[in-house]
Amino acid sequence: MSAGAPEERVWLGSGPGARVTHLIRAWPAVLRVAFAGLVAYRAEMVIWVLSATLPLVMLSLWNAASTGGPVGGYDQLAFTRYFAVNLVVRQLTGSWIVWELNWAIRKGELSPKLLRPMNPLVYNFAETLSALPFRAGVLLPLVGALAWWRPEVLFLPSPTVFFAFVASVLASFILAWTVQALFGMLAFWFEQSMGFWSAWFAIWSLLAGYFVPLDLFPAWAVAGTRLLPFYSTLGAPIDVLLGKVDPASTLATQWGWVVALSALAALTWRTGIRRYGAVGA
Amino acid sequence: MRWWPRMHMEAVWALVRAALLTAMQYRASFIAEFLVGALSAAGVAAPLFLVYARVPEIQGWTLDQALLVTGFFLLYNAFVSGIVEPNLGSIVEGVRTGALDYLLLRPVDAQLVLSFSRVAPTAIWELLAGIVVVVGALMRLGAPTVADTALAAGLLMAGLASTYGLWLLVVCTSFWFVRVDNLRFLLSAVTDAGRWPVSVYGRGLRIALTTVVPVALVSSYPAMALLHRLDASLVLGAFATAGGMLVVSRGVLRLALSRYASASS
Repeated sequence: MSAGAPEERVWLGSGPGARVTHLIRAWPAVLRVAFAGLVAYRAEMVIWVLSATLPLVMLSLWNAASTGGPVGGYDQLAFTRYFAVNLVVRQLTGSWIVWELNWAIRKGELSPKLLRPMNPLVYNFAETLSALPFRAGVLLPLVGALAWWRPEVLFLPSPTVFFAFVASVLASFILAWTVQALFGMLAFWFEQSMGFWSAWFAIWSLLAGYFVPLDLFPAWAVAGTRLLPFYSTLGAPIDVLLGKVDPASTLATQWGWVVALSALAALTWRTGIRRYGAVGA
Repeated sequence: MRWWPRMHMEAVWALVRAALLTAMQYRASFIAEFLVGALSAAGVAAPLFLVYARVPEIQGWTLDQALLVTGFFLLYNAFVSGIVEPNLGSIVEGVRTGALDYLLLRPVDAQLVLSFSRVAPTAIWELLAGIVVVVGALMRLGAPTVADTALAAGLLMAGLASTYGLWLLVVCTSFWFVRVDNLRFLLSAVTDAGRWPVSVYGRGLRIALTTVVPVALVSSYPAMALLHRLDASLVLGAFATAGGMLVVSRGVLRLALSRYASASS
């Protein structure tokens, strides 16, 4: 790129105001580039998406368990609905930044990315967003198959519930990405940081409502587990759409976690990047 | 000249020993993985406890009987993450970078070198978890007969052989399509269905899980053997699948190797 284009000089100027303007103007281009990158590896994308079908495995267990009658208030239809929405939310909130950061920090590939006029985290966030059309596209056959197997699973939520669901999924999307980024940044301090992520994932699968709807937990545990960040990344939007929880307080908890963990991520990034520089990589 | 199979056993043992020594260098991360192994095992078993807290049995399986399946599933996972994935995964990488050439030059059967050169020692925690779950469930169910135990062990081996064959087949596609590393994610996602007794699935899936993706052979069948629920036709079917998978995957590997033109030449 020719270095002297005057307009670029203007918006690459310093100061927080200029930085925000820059970000807004660069955003569509970044999304386009990220989308093109994904199209190049589209077969891989299909595999990524298909490999998140674990909710269906869980559904088959609960479905078999509830053949004789409802289990804890869930009949077969309710279980199918729960795990269908589970599949959708899990797909829409998927990201991969923990692997990418972990790799980039350990191999030093972060260095060239830091030279770009855009924070690598912001860039990855854009990539994750631009993967959404793919993820939605591959959801269609899966949800279609479920609807063919059990047509009564389809339902039309009221507009209010639907908007609450969208706001809830958005919070989950940001939160899930932020948590992954936090675990990825652990690579600044630990050589092998993927173990932490695996441990988190194991706990998450249980407490987020991924394997089991949380209201099937023992009664004393239900309210507490709903306040934890795990639930905010997956179970919350499912329960909001299915009308199991009060949308307002659930959204408040979710967005509270978004604010708290984003702040923590920003702080971790600043501290970590200083350390990364100190290593001289 | 030594007897042919014996020479192969020696080669396998030497490969595994060298792999273990390499992997054990990372002692700290090895110990830390203990926590991960324990948590994942708990994650696999926990839904069962939650289900069975509400219903006494599912499709003829009680909690202890279903836990047997889970235990065998953990053993299968240990086998995959400890041996199959590190080795067969490196084939994909080797095809892409050309590093495969060095392995193929060795004077031992290529399939042995490709299958047993690496070990991920952290899988030992999953192995232990699997043993604990199986033994724990058996202590509550009562000890099985010697014949049933032997049959279960045989079926477990047959199941491991079939799933190994399936993985090899998938990995062989990397000789034609260079970028298939993620097929491994797909495969482990599909085999996740093996964690429950196979009878919880519908008829179509049940057939698929014993033939196309034979993960039921490795988890449900050994458990059914211990519970004395298998008839001869199922046992024969399991061993036939294992034999077929091994022969076909070896054939495909040879075909792939004969066409392999190296990334460097």
